[in-house]
Amino acid sequence: MATRTDLIDKSNQSKNIITYVIIGVVFLVALWLSTQSEGPSKFPKEVTDKFTFTAWVNDGEDYLKKNYRWVTKIIASYIKETYYFLEDFLLESPWILIAAIIVIPCIIAGGLRLGIYSSFVVYFWGATGMWEPSLQTVALMGLSVLLCVFFGFILGVLCSQSNRFENFMKPVLDTMQVMPAFVYLFPALFFFGIGGAPAILATMIYAMPPIIRLTNTGIRQVPAQTIESATSFGSSKLQLLFKIKIPLSLPSIMMGINQVIMMALALVVLACFIGAEGIGGQVWQAIRRLDVGWAMEGGLCILFMAIMFDRFSLAFSKDKERLPSDVQRFYLLPQSWEKYQIAKILETPLSFGNKILKIICQTVTSAIATVFKVFVSIFNKSTGENIGEFISKRYYVIPYFLVLFLIAFIDNYFLEIGTFPKEWKLSIRQPISNAVESLTVNPGFISFAKGLRAFVYLNLLRPLDVFLTQIPWWYTLAVFSALGYVTVGIRFAIITAVLLLFIGACGIWTQSMITLSSVLVSVVLCFVIGVPLGIIASYNERFRNIQNVVLDAMQTLPYFCYLIPVLMFFGGGTVSAVIATVIYSIPPIIRLTSLGLTQVSGTYSEVSRSFGGTLIQTLNKIKFPLAIPSLVIGFNQTVIMAFAMQIVTPLIGGKGLGLEVFNGLARSDTGRGLAAGVGIVLLAIIIDRITLAWTKKQREALGLIS
Amino acid sequence: MKLSKKISALILSVALLIGSFGQANAAKRLHAAIADWTGGIITCEVAVAILEREMGYKIKQTVFPSGTGLWEAIAAGELDFACESWPSYAEADTVMLNEDLIYEGKVVGTYSGDGSVDLLGTAGIIGMSDYWIPRYAAEELGIKTWKDLNKHKAKFATIESGERGRLIGCPVPGWNCHDQKRLDLLGIDFQADELGTEAAAIAEAKAAYMRKEPFLLYLWSPHWFFGAYDMVGVQLPDHKVCDSFTEANNWKDCGTAAWPATGWAKDYTMNYGNPATFASAEHADAKKFFEKMSLQNIDQAKMLVEVDQNGRDVKEVVNEWLDNNPDKWKSWLP
Repeated sequence: MATRTDLIDKSNQSKNIITYVIIGVVFLVALWLSTQSEGPSKFPKEVTDKFTFTAWVNDGEDYLKKNYRWVTKIIASYIKETYYFLEDFLLESPWILIAAIIVIPCIIAGGLRLGIYSSFVVYFWGATGMWEPSLQTVALMGLSVLLCVFFGFILGVLCSQSNRFENFMKPVLDTMQVMPAFVYLFPALFFFGIGGAPAILATMIYAMPPIIRLTNTGIRQVPAQTIESATSFGSSKLQLLFKIKIPLSLPSIMMGINQVIMMALALVVLACFIGAEGIGGQVWQAIRRLDVGWAMEGGLCILFMAIMFDRFSLAFSKDKERLPSDVQRFYLLPQSWEKYQIAKILETPLSFGNKILKIICQTVTSAIATVFKVFVSIFNKSTGENIGEFISKRYYVIPYFLVLFLIAFIDNYFLEIGTFPKEWKLSIRQPISNAVESLTVNPGFISFAKGLRAFVYLNLLRPLDVFLTQIPWWYTLAVFSALGYVTVGIRFAIITAVLLLFIGACGIWTQSMITLSSVLVSVVLCFVIGVPLGIIASYNERFRNIQNVVLDAMQTLPYFCYLIPVLMFFGGGTVSAVIATVIYSIPPIIRLTSLGLTQVSGTYSEVSRSFGGTLIQTLNKIKFPLAIPSLVIGFNQTVIMAFAMQIVTPLIGGKGLGLEVFNGLARSDTGRGLAAGVGIVLLAIIIDRITLAWTKKQREALGLIS
Repeated sequence: MKLSKKISALILSVALLIGSFGQANAAKRLHAAIADWTGGIITCEVAVAILEREMGYKIKQTVFPSGTGLWEAIAAGELDFACESWPSYAEADTVMLNEDLIYEGKVVGTYSGDGSVDLLGTAGIIGMSDYWIPRYAAEELGIKTWKDLNKHKAKFATIESGERGRLIGCPVPGWNCHDQKRLDLLGIDFQADELGTEAAAIAEAKAAYMRKEPFLLYLWSPHWFFGAYDMVGVQLPDHKVCDSFTEANNWKDCGTAAWPATGWAKDYTMNYGNPATFASAEHADAKKFFEKMSLQNIDQAKMLVEVDQNGRDVKEVVNEWLDNNPDKWKSWLP
């Protein structure tokens, strides 16, 4: 055993030296080539002139518009009608009714804790004056989630039944997720009109992949024994699917729905650019007026909404029969706080109220059940008993509808409830705006910001920009293909070459290199900042808990919200773009670093400690190597998110492919926008595949995968 | 569960029925595009408020970013009208309009496009664009016109621009400002930065103003920024056009004599709409109203300050203005 590890070590060492030498040579050649060229490297003009991808796309779009618009119009009109129906219902109903519709299911599914949280959320919407936009966002999101789940489920089932279809869908799903939404948001406008319909369809493109994937994997993961026993009892293929496989994969499907909700919420905010109403529009308006506080309020509305829907759908997916409000003791505060007196004072009346509520619900429901039972029993005794039992079991659902009915009844005949009362207003705009403004003029902070800006620009961004754009395109292409060959294989190397040739032929080589450079700089910064934070979190649990909350917020807050403070502190331009990208894409690397380090089981570090290893040594020699796979996954996700952010950074002065997309849109030149969008997707896919393959190799080397 | 589903359906339908009673009156309807910048929003809200208050309209409003996309949406009939388009910045106007633009009886612009969009008339606002510096910087450095900028370029430099000064330029490439070209032609050794959005440019300018740093900013007026901060223009040369002057031949012919070496033209802003909608007899009144509408700069500027400085609601401000100044807009009614 010992000799074997020695051998592996030695071969690894010599391999490492060779690898480093090769990397060094490749880099030096690139450096030499880049100093040779004058100005950015360009694709041969003959190729870019002949390969008029943009014109083809635009012609195709015109053709489709002319000949098939009536089809899309019909689809759009159905979606629009449904959306307006839902929106009208939400906006015109008395506000207490809407609040009840949202809050009571939360109580049923997630217990009083979620119930209290959800009533706070609903209050916050109204109190910040965002009642209508919030409900519009809910309507948009709800409808898109419904459609996503319906079509996604069907596609997922199809995927699970046919390998060929699955292989066909995989790259399609990848593209759907990475393709910047802006690319199809505007064409959607011209096919489906303004407002709800294109927004919902665009959201479907973006948010459908998880449900397809998770339905597929859920069905495929049903244990073979179960299937065998079912087949041996003579169930047909369809029976097998609908009676065994789908019910067994429900948890996975519910997980998919949860993800769909989160992603739909993220995109619905963007839909303000094509005339859809909602919080996105509010935030965007606030940003145009540089009202950071207003933008933040809008952002918090979305954030709270997202957390609520997330917890709600998670609670629902856990267990259908056992409602948590039945079995769990109610905790408002973390359980570790139980020793404090305040926690007891706060919680006792609440849990008492919860019990009383339950008793009332049960009494009312059983009363109703008895009435039904007696009434139906006149005609048919057994049906009557069944119905009675059916109703009395649902002692949370029945009172729910009773409450809704009561509210609607009171509103119609006694007093009009109307919209959210204005007196209950709460505003946090001013303090937030003031805080940002005082930081803007704080000399210490600003000199720090300026120093950071200078450092990032002079030492990272500009050299890399110049370097990457000036290397001849054929050299960069060769390096990427070689990387693809080494990590994945010959097929991927060829694919990489073709994809990069496509980017070059579209005439966007320079822009794509600029995008690559700002992504690389952002990722390096994420790494430098994120890994230490992750390490601290892995040692200190309290820090980790706080950090997790912050990271959750960062990921759900619409990125518009922090663009303005970034601008005011750092000024517009490429540096601000990089900083915004770092803020957006840092969470995965922090999370997975701390996850990777905590997962390394205690024994390893104890052994190391007992042999006299210092903290640093343990970290360096034991924990890090074992945490590498997890780290690389974090790195990989950060890269993908950084690419996704490139589409937003032009709003604050970012350059490269994202700017091309915007230019295409501003001139209503879909081809140009699409080419640049595809460029981002292709770069992201290439880097994603290479890093994933590398992770796999690392895992194999560590013996984590056989 | 089926039973509870039925009950819920019943309740929903009851609530919906009640809701629908409220809106069961037949008003004339139009669908307006509301701009995404405050000046345009105010102009549009003035038009919308008058149409709704005085002419029995019910206007559906959709906030829509200006640009070619908006023109196409109007040509396609997705939206009925939009307000306050600035000819210097619009790209689609020459292609899609086919009418003369008349301001106070004078022809101020001629279009010969395909007529897929109907020119409804001027909005009344006359826009001016220029480069601006804060007054404290102008006084401290003694900058009177653009000719003095080169002397102080180091003061305007940033990390990215190096030794050259920096212009916070026209934010959106689609607006065709040709900032860098102008700076080069005029021999101003500055670098023009496109920041992508108006918000980005203004945010940076606001922060610089708060820190009392010198900066050069492209901006149009009327704009709320001038109400909040004291800015002076650098008086670019008067607008001139030269016919053989296009982007395609890279402005070789006319040298520094004409656009883009000059400042911007006065922008007689206009309202525009869908031709089919405004040709119909039902909306003849609305068309007449738009022909007469003429909101003055000073009025818009006052409302801009109320909305953007004092953070008040646009509709509230517009209604207050309408209540207090009936003499200014009664004459626009058909």
